[in-house]
Amino acid sequence: MSQVSTTFVQPRAARLQIVARIGAAVLGGYAFAWGFVAAGASLMFAAGMGFHDAEFLASLLGVLAFLVVFLWAIATKRPWWAWLGLLGAGGLLAGVASLVQAALL
Amino acid sequence: MFTSFRQAMAWLHTWFGLVLGFVLMAAFFFGALSVFDREIDRWAIPSTRIEPQPMPSFEQVLRPAFERMQPTRAAVDAMRSRVDGPMPEHFDTPVSWSAYTTHRDPVLSLFAGFDVPNAKDPEEAIWAEETIDPRDGRLLPVDQLKVGSGFFYPMHYGLTLDWKNLGIWIVGLSALVMLAALVSGVVMHRRIFREFFTFRPGKARLRSVLDLHNLTGVVALPFHFFFAFTGLLIFAATYYFPVGHTQLHELHDLHAEAEARETGLPHQRAGVAAGLANVDAMVAEARRRWEAKGKAGEVGFLWLQHVGDANGHVSVYRAGTDRIALVGDAIHFKASTGELIREEPAATPVGRVAEFLTGLHLQHFRHWLLRWLYVFGGLTGAVCIATGFIFFVEKRKRQHAQQGSQGARVVDALAVASVTGMVLAALGILVANRLLPEDMVGRGDWQRYAFWGSWVLALLHAAWRSAPVAQGRANPAWREQSAAIAVMALAAVLLNWATTGDHLLRTLAAGYWPVAGVDLSLLACATVAGLVARRLWARAAAKSAAPMATEAKHA
Repeated sequence: MSQVSTTFVQPRAARLQIVARIGAAVLGGYAFAWGFVAAGASLMFAAGMGFHDAEFLASLLGVLAFLVVFLWAIATKRPWWAWLGLLGAGGLLAGVASLVQAALL
Repeated sequence: MFTSFRQAMAWLHTWFGLVLGFVLMAAFFFGALSVFDREIDRWAIPSTRIEPQPMPSFEQVLRPAFERMQPTRAAVDAMRSRVDGPMPEHFDTPVSWSAYTTHRDPVLSLFAGFDVPNAKDPEEAIWAEETIDPRDGRLLPVDQLKVGSGFFYPMHYGLTLDWKNLGIWIVGLSALVMLAALVSGVVMHRRIFREFFTFRPGKARLRSVLDLHNLTGVVALPFHFFFAFTGLLIFAATYYFPVGHTQLHELHDLHAEAEARETGLPHQRAGVAAGLANVDAMVAEARRRWEAKGKAGEVGFLWLQHVGDANGHVSVYRAGTDRIALVGDAIHFKASTGELIREEPAATPVGRVAEFLTGLHLQHFRHWLLRWLYVFGGLTGAVCIATGFIFFVEKRKRQHAQQGSQGARVVDALAVASVTGMVLAALGILVANRLLPEDMVGRGDWQRYAFWGSWVLALLHAAWRSAPVAQGRANPAWREQSAAIAVMALAAVLLNWATTGDHLLRTLAAGYWPVAGVDLSLLACATVAGLVARRLWARAAAKSAAPMATEAKHA
């Protein structure tokens, strides 16, 4: 632990990595969770569940998914890949949600 | 950057815990107070120190009150920019009327929404809110700040930072970090089970602080996890992931139309004026139907939608005092005739999970022991976070002193402000509540200023007294603010006695627990804070005597 606490005094590259890591966890994680909730809600609605049930269940799983990717983004060796992976997956999932919506209307 | 997963988790636990721990302190502490928000309201508004009342008669009490309601001048001014043309002098078309109470409320909250002619968003209504005495419909002055439900409770979930719901977002991020801190805390410690039983108060300071941090974290781990998690879920669909209002709003509209067809509850006004049948008869019918199903029959929420229109309906919701799940068991009637439109069917399995999880957090049930367990759970969380701060500082302060760094000093001052300072702020608003003149203009606002003023003073005091930390010693602000807490808590009890005559002997003899409970809690707080202050003073005295003794020996 004492090693960890002294890692705060670091060269610029390492500091940038910390910022990238926190950003990936918070913002990337949020983008991923949004896509997860939207895709989950639309797919479960399409499968015949009521909208508010689908929304609640998707949010419940989405919060847990956010927690998992949050921890992963902090621990991963390559934070820039975490950014890419989370934004990509979040965008893809949100796209699925919009496609499902378009198909149902 | 990290050589192992465990190291990454330790980093996350330390730094995210430190930064958002300050917010989490407020969420836990004010959450614990909110468990008894209605009781704190009674303490703060002496004119409402009466027994809880059931939902009153609509025809005799509610109807005249609703008919008199109009939006405040401030609400009208706030709405002005969202309307084409001038605002009307009087709002004639109520969109909805509703009344809300719980089994702990002697007063009743009323809400009225009105159609706004020429509003840019035709769906937008203007709202009026009132609190009345349900026995006679008498209006309670707006300036009577409900310190518990109107201040401590919003502080719990949104820090009262209303601008763009910023506070709700900050608390939400903190709740996520709380979950992450719990997971990472478990990962950091190999022998988690042993920590259940480990507290070594006599050991070195660092070790006993860490023991207490682990103990309070592990013993109440399910509590902390559930509250952070369900707190996020309660706001998820409205604030954090509002997919139904944004990306998927077309899907939501589709569902709303289908639901309106299925339930027979019209979404829009018909545009045809219609009268209102006897609402008390509808309420009686709803209670009869609940009773037939073996459910307790008090009304928690009464809601009239499309008032005065042929499509109007009256919805009667049950107060769910007899179970953890937050249930409505709503029964809907046609407003103009009083005929039954729909009785809500049993919830779906997902709906039951939602009702249970939200009910577990929001506690509408009638169970006093469980309520107290919530308070202790919340305070345990606050102790866990506070000891986390102290551990952070204790571990680094000597090292920082040698390096000439101010890090530990700054964190310690912030910790003083967020631990003892926060308690002082809460006491500040209670003391101000009893000291300010009853008929003062803006009395509610002045109470809020007293809260923030006390907190700012506590922070300044902590910063001013923080120099010893930079030399590896303790900040005297800890003991001084503990002493201040003892004095303020005692003062609050005495002021309540002096200004209302409701001293403890009287409230206890009368069995009036809302006020007696708050007074007793204040006295308990004063006792604990007084003992802590004495202990810290004794320790400081021993410390300052010790070097002199060694010097004497050398001489």
